[in-house]
This record gives sequence, C-alpha cells and structure tokens, in this order.
Amino acid sequence: MITIQNLKKSFRTEEVETLALNSVNLKVEDGEFVAIMGPSGCGKSTLLNIIGMLDNPTEGNYNFAGNEVSGLKESQRTQLRKGNLGFVFQSFNLIDELTVFENVELPLIYLKMNKSERKQKVRAVLERMKIAHREKHFPQQLSGGQQQRVAISRAVVTNPKLILADEPTGNLDSKNGIEVMNLLTELNQEGTTIVMVTHSDRDSHYAHRVINLFDGQIVTESQNRAIGAMV
Amino acid sequence: MLKNYFKIAWRNLLKNKVYSSINIGGLALGIAVTLIISLWIQDELTHNDYYQSKATIAQIYQSQTFNNQTSTGPAIPRPLEKALRDGYMDNFKHLVMSSWNNSQYLNYKEISISKSGNFMQAEAPELLDLKILKGEKDGLREINSIMLSESIAEALFGSEEPIGKIIKVNSEFDMMVTAVYEDIPFNNSFNDLEFIMPWEKYITTREWVQNAIDSWGNNSFQMFVQIPDNTTMERVTETVRNVKKDLNEDTAEFNPQLFLFPMEDWYLRSNFENGQQVGGRIKYVWLFAVIGIFVLLLACINFMNLSTARSEKRSKEVGIRKSIGSQRRQLINQFLSESFLVVLFAFVIAVVIVLLSLSGFNDLARKEIAFPWSSISFWGISLGLILFTALLAGSYPALYLSSFRPVDVLKGTFKAGKYAGTPRKILVVVQFTVSVAFIIGTVVVMQQINHAKNRPVGYNKEGLIQIPTFSDDFTGKYELMRSEFIGSNAVVEMSTSSSPTTEVWSNRGGYSWEGKPEGFQEDFAWTTVSPEYAKSLGLKIIAGRDFSREFASDSSAVLINETALKYMGLTNPIGTLIKDDSEEDPDPPLKIIGVVQDMIVQSPYEPIKQGVYEFDKYGLGSYYNLRLNPKQSVGQNLAIVERVFKDHFPSIPFQYDFVDEQYGAKFASEERVGNLSGIFTALAILISCLGLFGLTSFVAEQRTKEIGVRKVLGASVFNVWNMLSKDFLKLITISCFIAVPIAYYVMNGWLQDYPYHIIISWWVFALAMLGAMGVTAITVSFQAIKAARANPIKSLRTE
Repeated sequence: MITIQNLKKSFRTEEVETLALNSVNLKVEDGEFVAIMGPSGCGKSTLLNIIGMLDNPTEGNYNFAGNEVSGLKESQRTQLRKGNLGFVFQSFNLIDELTVFENVELPLIYLKMNKSERKQKVRAVLERMKIAHREKHFPQQLSGGQQQRVAISRAVVTNPKLILADEPTGNLDSKNGIEVMNLLTELNQEGTTIVMVTHSDRDSHYAHRVINLFDGQIVTESQNRAIGAMV
Repeated sequence: MLKNYFKIAWRNLLKNKVYSSINIGGLALGIAVTLIISLWIQDELTHNDYYQSKATIAQIYQSQTFNNQTSTGPAIPRPLEKALRDGYMDNFKHLVMSSWNNSQYLNYKEISISKSGNFMQAEAPELLDLKILKGEKDGLREINSIMLSESIAEALFGSEEPIGKIIKVNSEFDMMVTAVYEDIPFNNSFNDLEFIMPWEKYITTREWVQNAIDSWGNNSFQMFVQIPDNTTMERVTETVRNVKKDLNEDTAEFNPQLFLFPMEDWYLRSNFENGQQVGGRIKYVWLFAVIGIFVLLLACINFMNLSTARSEKRSKEVGIRKSIGSQRRQLINQFLSESFLVVLFAFVIAVVIVLLSLSGFNDLARKEIAFPWSSISFWGISLGLILFTALLAGSYPALYLSSFRPVDVLKGTFKAGKYAGTPRKILVVVQFTVSVAFIIGTVVVMQQINHAKNRPVGYNKEGLIQIPTFSDDFTGKYELMRSEFIGSNAVVEMSTSSSPTTEVWSNRGGYSWEGKPEGFQEDFAWTTVSPEYAKSLGLKIIAGRDFSREFASDSSAVLINETALKYMGLTNPIGTLIKDDSEEDPDPPLKIIGVVQDMIVQSPYEPIKQGVYEFDKYGLGSYYNLRLNPKQSVGQNLAIVERVFKDHFPSIPFQYDFVDEQYGAKFASEERVGNLSGIFTALAILISCLGLFGLTSFVAEQRTKEIGVRKVLGASVFNVWNMLSKDFLKLITISCFIAVPIAYYVMNGWLQDYPYHIIISWWVFALAMLGAMGVTAITVSFQAIKAARANPIKSLRTE
C-alpha cells in the first residue's frame, strides 16, 4: 500500500536548516499494523504527516496505492486523501462547535454522500464504537476516552484503506488507552491498514511491526510475535 | 454542506458573544448609516420625478455680463414671450409665462388663509401634467378663474363642492374655482404651487406688468417650456440663444444669452459661476455617498480585523477539516457563508435602527423620506449591499484562514507569522485616517457656519418682525398703521420696504451719474423704502443724513450703502444725482442724501452687493417692518400688534416673520450638512473604537501569559498598560499624519466655494489628533487596565 524511497524532509528557518527525515525507506503492506517509535524530535510525526499527505517531502518518492504522491498540489493531495485515509490524533481534534454526530458526519459530507446514507453510516459507526448514546453531545461534554472514540469513529466512517494514528492514547488514562488500542486492533483485523506513531512500548505491542526512528532515519525494525498481547 | 456552514457559523456566534456583538453591532451601525444615506441620495436623485415629462421640461434662463462679470438667472423680460411665440414656436410643445411664487390672501366666507401660488398661462396644467381631481385641466382659460391644490380646496371649502365657488383674492378680485389638482409632493419643484391664476389676470391688475410689454430691460418674469420629443435642450438652446440680443439693441451690450435650463438639473445642479454651470447640491450627494461608503468600509474593517485576529482559535478547525477532506475552496465558501450570516443579521438590525431613526433624520435633513417597504428595487439593492458587504468583509478572512497548513495547526505549533498582524495594522490605520479626516471636516464645516453667523449683519435683527402687505387693503394705510402701531406701545418704529429685510427682489441698471466711468455697466440691489427704514432696522447713517418727512424733495432722494459708494467711485456722494437712462422716464433724477452702513441682505457667505434705497413715494411697500418695544415681552408685543392689525384688516390673516429667524434660515443648508456630517463622524468613530476595543481585548487575551510573567517579575499596572497601548497609539499617530494633509486639501477646496470663509487654523488639526488619541487611549485602556490588574497567578494558570 505504501512505498517510500529515499524520503527526505528538511525545514528551513531564517538561520538554520533542520533535516527532519533523512533517506527514509519504508514499505507498508495492505492490512499491516505498523508502529513508529523514537524519541521526541526524531521525525515520527513528520513521517506520519507525509504518509497522511498533509505535508510534502523535500526529496524522494512516496507511492500510495499505486499513486505517486510527492510533488502533488494540495488540492490533488486532498482529493487522494478523501475517503482513503482516516486520522486519529493524540489531542482528538474534534470540532468543538459540532456535536458527536456532526463531527463523524463531516467526512461523508465532503464525499458528497446523500443525507440518508450519511445518517445510516454515522449511526452504525457510533453504535459500533459504543458512543451512540452521546451523539447529540458536544466534544467538551465527553471524557477523553469518549472523545477519542468519536475521533476513531470519524476516522473509520468512510471505510478508509489506511488509518494514521498519532499517539492515539497519549492523552488517555490506561483503561481508556487499552480500549482505544483494542478498537484499532479490531479495525486492523477487519482489513484496515494502520500506521501508528507512539511513545508507548505497551501500545507498540499491538502492532505487527515496530519501526524505530532516530535523527530522521530508520535505525531498527522489528516484528512482534505476540499480536494483541495486551488484549 | 451549506447547512453545515451555517450551523458552525451560528454556534460560533453564540459561543463568542463579545466578538459577535462587536462584529454584528459595528456592521449594523455601518449598514444603517449606508442605508439612511442611500435613502437620502435616492430622495435627492428622484427630485421632480413626479413630472412624467421631466426630461422635456425646462426653464428659460438668461446670462448677462456686467463689467466682465457674468450673472445667470431665471428672470426674463416680457417681450421675449412674443418673440418666441412669433418666430420659434416649432421648437416648443408648450410655453408658459409665469409670475414669481408669492403669498396671496384667499377668502371664502369667514375663512381667510395666506397661501403661495403663481399667475401662469393657460398651458401650465398641461406642461406640469397636474393630476386634476375635480373640474377641468384647462381651468385657466377664463380670466377670473383659479385652480386650487387639493389641500387648499379642503382648507377653504371643507366637504363642500369647490368647483364653481367664488373666492376673494387679496380683497382685490373675485375668482371662480375651476379645478382642484392633486397636491404636488414634497420633493418636487412647484411643491409650493398651492394655486394658479391666469396670467391675463396678472397683466390686467398690475400696471407695471402692462408697461413691461415692450421693456427688454425689465427682467421680472419667468418662463417655463416643454420641448417636443424630436429635439433636444441643446438644439433649442442654440436656436434661441441670441434672440434677445438680436432683437434689442439697448440690452445687447450686456450680451444676453438665453438657454434652456432642464428640469433635471433644477434641484442638483443649479449653481452658475460667471456664466458656467458649476454644480450645486450634487456636491452634497457625492459627499454623503463617500461618507456612506467609508462608514461601511470602517465596519467591514472591524469584521476583517476581528476575524483574522481570532485566526489561531479557528486554525484547529481549518486543520481538521482539511485533514478529513475539505478543499481550500470549500473552506473559503464556509468562511464567506459565515460572513454572509453575520452581515444578514447586521442588516436586519440596521433596518430596525433605520426605522427608529428615520423620523429624527427627516427632521434634521428636512426630508419626508418613508421606509420603502414595497420597493422591489430597494430590496434588490439591499440584497446587493448584503452580498457586497459579505464579500468585502469576508474575503480577506476567508482567504487568510483557509490558507493554514493542516500540519502546522494540528501539530499545535501554529503561530501566526511575524508579519501576520501587518494587514490588521494597516486596516486600523485606514479606519482612523478616515475618522480623523471626518473629525477635521466636521470641525471646519461648523467653524465656517459660525464664522458666517458671527459676521456683522449691519443692522439689529433682534426684535424685528415683518408683515407681508400684498393685499390692496393696505394701499394708502401706511401712515395710519404706523401711528396706530406706535401708539399701541408695542412698536417703537416702523417702516415699509419693497422686499423682505433678508432678500433683494429687484436689481436695476441703466443709470448714470457724474464721474461714471465710460462703459461702466452698473447693477444695483434696489429697494424702495419708507422714510423710517434705516431707523426701524437700526441701520447706521455713516455720511449725509437719513430720509426726512420735513423735506418734500426727499421724494426723489436715495440712500446708498458703503459698497455702492466704492462701486460708483464717489468721493463726495452727498448731492450726487443718479439719472435714469431711459428717455421716457418722467421722474426727476434721484439725489443721494446719505450713505448707510452695509447690511447683509443676501448670502452671508458672499460679499455685500451695492445697494440703493429709494424713497417709496407711491406707497408700494410689500412689507411692514416693525421694531418691537424692547421694554415689553415679545409675547405681549405680538398680542397687541395682532389686535391692532385685526382692527384694521379683519379679513386678512395676521401673518408675520421674525427677521432673525429668516436670517438664520440662510444657514439651514450648511447647518444641515454640518449636523449630519457631525452625526456620521460620531458613528464612524464609534465603529472604529468598537473594532479597536475588540482588537485590544484579543491582544490582551493573547498575551495573558506574558502579562502574568511580567507582573511576577515586577511590572506595574502602568508598565502593562503602556505595553498594550503604545502599539495602538503608534498606529493612530500614523493615521493622523495621513489624514491631516488629505483633510486640509479637501476642506480647503470646499471653503473656496464661499467668498467669505475661514482660514483653517493649525489647532483644528491638533484638536482632531488629540481627540483621536484620547478616544483611542480610553478604548484601549479599558481592556489594558483590566488585563494589567488581573492576578498573575490566575493568568499563568490559563496555560
């Protein structure tokens, strides 16, 4: 699904140029669950943003499901992202002014799906995430765990091929964290590819493969034997 | 999708009540000002729209040149009518001679009213396309007929049938009502045409009019025409331009040029300078249009500034929307929808503001504007205004907000760039530049009005009243009335004059005197007066003597004013003879017996005109001038004067004017402009300050942590106030320096329209600058001090 070759990303300020990613090569197969780890500032989130097409690499190639992404314009990236990718963020990133239902509905609106179909899909996903009883609430009225379940609902409501999770349990207590990881695992078992950035060793054990980044380069890669060990 | 946009917009409005109030309130004020100004402009531009043939109606105007100065006006000589009818009638559809609009007394049974109207030729109702409610359109055919406006007919006859009724005019002649026409609405010429009598009646009842039949030099009449559809005003003007010059040698030296002055220009472009049409009220239409646009712009700037200032708050939403599939175009649409919603709300509030203030505005602007509920064009234009404002106010925030990169905002590392605040600063500078320029403009207008008001008027206008004496009932009764009024103790002196104290009704030339330069073409303001004129007005005699009843020879005497003294080039004026050049004049020459102080009679903004006051030997005065007894109250005096008046003229309504009020009316137009621009300036400043208030509260909120840290480190309230205020004060200072030269240039140009005008002094600019600084300091301080006094522990905890 994802093939990255010789990917580089540098940031330039007035005085210095920082190389955030340096010749990264990575392949992610359909249905894989990959965890990216590493110390702060190693380039994890930068890599995830490039995979999520929120950012463009400075150099190198990125192929997503047969499409070359590097060099695409923002509008083209948006088009490719729509319906194919779902995002789960550490800080949930729900729109405060929209209810649970409306937040989850939003990607479907951008896909120009009709109202009744939207309603059906949102209801189904909220039921599945066990948050349907809160559909009329606003994000501030929910606990962190509930908010992240809403965020996951929003990420999966379009049935994306790939979910990108950026420290999805970072703002949650352990109980809620486990719930979220179980949800992601469940989705992965149903065929959704997941790429997750995490600091947590425990969370990384849910992944099939763990990639370690350091100073913008992949330094180690390891396969997990006991998938879902913490379930 | 649209529903989603509006939902978010609505919830955002509710969530941020202060910002929403400032945004919507400011815009509502701006739109209300724009709407009111638009209604005013609409009213100005539709003046005379009552006349369906407006485009083909004109008045014949005449330009004449005296001593290289060309003056232009509507007064024409009587023989012109015959000349045009005989040789040029194929250029006209209708041609109507008319007297000037004058008050007359109309009597029916016990009812007596004084109303204004004209003597006009029979085609007048056709030319003006009067809407006849009763009777016939050709109601002026019979010499003793009169056509009445609806309200006059009602005042005289109530529910009785008016047609065929006989009314007495000026106790002079009986006229039969032949038609009643619809009242001519307020914003139209001839609005004061409350009755029309036949032109022939005018001729037969006035000897001087009969005598004027061949007098090309007597410009005492007016003429209205309508041209056929197959020609143009310009073409007809070219045909008739030299008719007078060609037919009359005596007046040819003044190069009389005739032209058609179209009805479409009567109201807005009626000023002439040295023979050239130079605009008129249209300059106020432009002025207020500019004010309206600027006030709306100020309100839009608030919207732009507050929206972009709050960008960090909205950035997260932009990031999320982009990450889940929103195109930039969709975000732009979303923000424009929000701006549309805000503007729509503001418009509804603006309409309420307009409805509440329209009556006050009408009083101030002397208008009768009604809210155009049923006007499709109004609502169409309003929709256009809403869309335009939404685009103007919303486009910059929409483009700015939608440009955020989702990576930055979602990572939480989004910070507005170093120069992100620059457009906001520029917009604040624009706002205050406009406001400061408005302040300067208003102060200059007010100063100019006061300057003219404080100009020495030359006579004592307090406690002086004038009573019109148009009726024949007054003929030969002056001496009697003078002794009655003075004997009543309510009046200390009295005189008559041929025109009101604040106007000149007659201008004359064609005289010679010893020492008159060769080729000099004189033009005097001419008033015939009774001997007590100077005394009753409090006019000072500065050379020679006043008229005296002791000297029989004073019946051929004149007084001249100081300007006339210089104008005629006389060094020893007393005893100088002024001779009428016309050969047939049977009267002896007029002798100058005294020089009176200059008095302002016409425009207080213009130089005083050379004036001659001729002894009224025929008792032709049109006004009694009464100096009330200063030792009694005005009320007491008036009650006595009315009683004496009614004793002698029971059938004539007692009507009088205070001269000081009549004089004050000369400032009405400028005062209206001054008052309106004062109000609009105040609103402009209020709107700008609202925006500034919002921006300061935003900056204070944004810098809460910084303020906390500074306070912990020892900053005083003053230090924090200074930190928050100085940036804004700097911007206002820049505004002042931009506004001052612009305002000086514009206002100095405006003042040039007035020969008697002020020189703009430096303190006007200093005052405007200080005012702007003061208002800014107060606005900013409110938030700055609030932030500075907050407990730093609290503010640090907000992190």
